[in-house]
Formats: sequence, C-alpha cells, structure tokens
Amino acid sequence: MASTAAVPFWRAAGMTYITYSNICANLVRNCLKEPFKAEALNREKVHFSLSKWAGGKPEKPILRSDTPGV
Amino acid sequence: MAMTVFRREGSRFLPSIAARPIAAIRSPLSSDQEDGPLGVRSISTQVVRNRMKSVKNIQKITKAMKMVAASKLRAVQGRAENSRGLWHPFTALLGDNPSIDVKKSVVVTLSSDKGLCGGINSTVVKVSRALYKLNAGPEKDVKFVIVGEKAKAIMFRDSKNDISLTVTELNKNPLNYAQVSVLADDILKNVEFDALRIVYNKFHSVVAFLPTVATVLSPEIIEKESEVGGKLGELDSYEIEGGETKGEILQNLAEFQFSCVMFNAVLENACSEMGARMSAMDSSSRNAGEMLDRLTLTYNRTRQASITTELIEIISGASALEAAK
Repeated sequence: MASTAAVPFWRAAGMTYITYSNICANLVRNCLKEPFKAEALNREKVHFSLSKWAGGKPEKPILRSDTPGV
Repeated sequence: MAMTVFRREGSRFLPSIAARPIAAIRSPLSSDQEDGPLGVRSISTQVVRNRMKSVKNIQKITKAMKMVAASKLRAVQGRAENSRGLWHPFTALLGDNPSIDVKKSVVVTLSSDKGLCGGINSTVVKVSRALYKLNAGPEKDVKFVIVGEKAKAIMFRDSKNDISLTVTELNKNPLNYAQVSVLADDILKNVEFDALRIVYNKFHSVVAFLPTVATVLSPEIIEKESEVGGKLGELDSYEIEGGETKGEILQNLAEFQFSCVMFNAVLENACSEMGARMSAMDSSSRNAGEMLDRLTLTYNRTRQASITTELIEIISGASALEAAK
C-alpha cells in the first residue's frame, strides 16, 4: 500500500523525524536576539547517560551531554 | 570519659571499695553514673539524651527535604499539566490501543534516580512486570528500557536478561523537550519494536499518583491496523498534501508521537516523584516528632527516678546515722 516515493533528504541521510525537528527548532532559536537567545538555548541542554545491555550485563555507558565531564 | 567508665565498672563489681570521685569532676547534669554512698548506681540518662538529639536532627532534615520537594513540585507541575496537550491530538487521531497484540513489545519504565520518594518506583516496576507477563509468549518478545537508577536496581534482580537499554542522570539538568527527544531518538534507533509501552506515574494530585501505561505503535503496525478498520481505518479519509505518502507521514507521526508522549511521561513522573517525596518526608517528620515525644517521656521518667533514688539513699543514710547515735 505504501509506495516508495522519494524519501525526504533527511530520512535518506539516516535522521529520524525527531532529529529533523530538533535541528529546525535549533535554527529558530538561533534567530532570536540576546538576551532571549541565551534563555532559549538554555532550554536545549541535553544530559543523560545511556548504556546498552547485552545478555544481562551492561556495557560501558555512553554519556550524551552538551557539557561532558561535568 | 574514661574515668566515668572506670567508675561504672568499678562500682558494678566492687561496690564496697568504689573510689569517691573528686567533686570538681562530677557535674550533675552530665553525669553518667551518680555514685551514692557505697557506690550504688542510678540509671543513666545519657543514652536517651543522645537518641533525642539524633531524632531531632533527623526531623529537621526531613522537614527541609519536604520544603525542597514542595518547591520543586510547584515548578514542574505547571509544565507537566501544559505538556498534556502535546499528545491529545495524537490520541484523537490514532486512538489508544493498550491491548494490541504485537510480536515485539518494548516496555519503557520511568523511575527516579534518587530515593526517599515513597513507593512510586516499586509500583512502576510491578506494572512493568505485569506487562511482561501479559505480553510474553511464543513468538512474542518483550524487552525493557529502563530510565532511572531505582528501577534499574530493582529490575536487575530478576529481569536482567530482558533489559536492552538503561538511562540514568536524566534529571541532572532541568527537564526539557530537547533532552527527552534525543532520548526518544536513541531508543528508536537502538531497539526494534512493534509497540512501545511507556509505564510512568501520572500525577493527579499531591497525594495521588497512578501508574499509567501509554502505548505508541510503530508505523508498520498502524498501517496494518488501519486496514483492519476502526479508528485507524478512518485515516484514509484524510487528504495528504505535499507529495508524501501515507506510510511516510505515519512514520513521522509515530516518531513524533513517541517523543511527545515521552516528554509528558517524564514530566508527570517527575511531578509524582516530588509529590511522593513530600508526603514521605512529611510522614517521616511526623514519626520523628512522635518518637521525640516518647523519648522525652522516658527521659523525664528516668531522670525523676534517679533523683528519687538518690533522695531515698540520702534520707535512709541519714536516718541510719541518727538511729546509730
């Protein structure tokens, strides 16, 4: 039923819709002037630690953070 | 201090030859053992006093923790209630299918990193385990994605072979959509699923949190279901603009739905955590207060008993001396 029309460029590049919309949101936030820009970019901070498990054992955790080492 | 111990030991074993302590060393307020004539002991109040001090400190600490949790709750509550509007359109469009039967389910368990928050983490784990039992079977696969340290510790004990991802330190920075969407993205990329069931504590009020399951289907399943009919079958009646196919739109929608539902779930869980911590710390301060009352009574009783004993000894000693004259 779903014909394979041309996929949008971002999906062909391996991004999901979420990543695409985040990048667009970042571009919009960068259009603001100071001081609102700093406040808005503050709302974009990412920090968490992810670890995949294989066979009941956790592998080394990957830290996804804008401020690594903090 | 050592001398007090020595005195105590000495007076227990050799009551007749206990040394009389120098008056300057003895202070009636902090005495562990009062030596009456012939070294008769009285009851010590030091132990009770130490306990009272520590219980009072605990009460102060738990009261402070309650205040902190209350202020954090006020901050997050507004955001959580506003974020509920994010997934309403999705449910209106795609319907909610909690009882859908799929081959691969992934249970996303949301919990807190810190403890002292009452029973919310254990309820979430109980619901996750129940979902596992419901959905496991021949040809069916259930995997766990665990967010938060507390659930990780509990689930590690018996379900560790089914865990595929764990995420911690999510609450280090104030929660925002960018963070949750990156997390959702990671989950999408790393885990194969037909249906995602997100288990979290929905915040109803400061004292009421219900464990809830939100179901997000993968786009392939949505297509399959839409052929069957029902709410999803009406998707065909929508016109699609912009040259994308229905399958693509469904894929975009499914990803965005997951991200929105995760955002709302994470916020609600944070609210519930603060609320649960508030009530836990509140009951803890109240218990500490009651304990303090009981200890005060014991302390006063002990103190009065020791004073009475000393008086009795003095008076009986004095009357013995008079009778001997």
